[in-house]
Amino acid sequence: MMELPLENVKNEVFSVKDEETDVSYGAYPDKRSIEQRIDFGFVLLDKPRGIRSKTASATAKQILSPLGVKKVGYSGTLED
Amino acid sequence: MHLHKNVDEQLLRDTLKSFVGKITQLPPVRSNVKRQYREREIYYADIIDIEDRDVLFKAGVESGTYIRKLVHDMGEKLGVGAHMSDLRRTKVSSLTEDSGLVTLQDLEDGMYFYRNENDPRLLSRSIQSIEVALDFLPKIFVSDTAVDTVCHGSPLAVPGVVKVNKFEKGQLIGMFTLKGELIALGSAELASDDILKGAKGIAIKTDSVIMSIGTYPRYIKKT
Repeated sequence: MMELPLENVKNEVFSVKDEETDVSYGAYPDKRSIEQRIDFGFVLLDKPRGIRSKTASATAKQILSPLGVKKVGYSGTLED
Repeated sequence: MHLHKNVDEQLLRDTLKSFVGKITQLPPVRSNVKRQYREREIYYADIIDIEDRDVLFKAGVESGTYIRKLVHDMGEKLGVGAHMSDLRRTKVSSLTEDSGLVTLQDLEDGMYFYRNENDPRLLSRSIQSIEVALDFLPKIFVSDTAVDTVCHGSPLAVPGVVKVNKFEKGQLIGMFTLKGELIALGSAELASDDILKGAKGIAIKTDSVIMSIGTYPRYIKKT
């Protein structure tokens, strides 16, 4: 009831072998700097009524451009 | 939904319920997809509020369902006509309105605080890591030594697998580092149970790579 198919997926983790990761490489997603998140990050935008998604994403790009943001797209079209 | 004439409340409730399940709908004239009848599933449709001819309801629907069309078709079935007056998405997969929803003004303010007052807090919670949106994906966790080869587009073989979620052969899989970073998306060549049972060979065929080459070191086999 009131639940979507992928809403409460619990992905249980099973170990194939024991192995650690070297902290000298990469970055934990929750410890990334804003600059690191620019390349593959997302904004959950509360779009105002009456403007197109395309306009909203273009505005977001303009706002974030000082950070070096070059590409902004959107997903989750409601109409058209 | 705005009804064009008054309707008996019980009839309205019953009609809305009758749309739950599989429906067929014709995409609107102005749409970006081919105009032919297609089947979509309505998981639930519950009325929140009724005020005269205005009906507020919440529906869970399959991707690609046209809500304006759904409302129109409800109006037809009721025999009075109806149109959609407002629409808001409240959820998609694991993301809800509580998952860090921000306005354009928040983005603008966040940038201001970050650049002018050296306060990254608002901007930081506005820009989320892509991994957050991929909660629903079954994942496979890759050894540090195999990350760079996957970044080059190679398939992931079983020796490079450290941990798995449950998945079946052919499923879309997220390939992640042990730090939880997204490396690539691929399709399962083996079921997770077979990997756990010690199957050999290719585990995941790499379809699209997200992580840049060189993020992890290139591992050279000792000869």
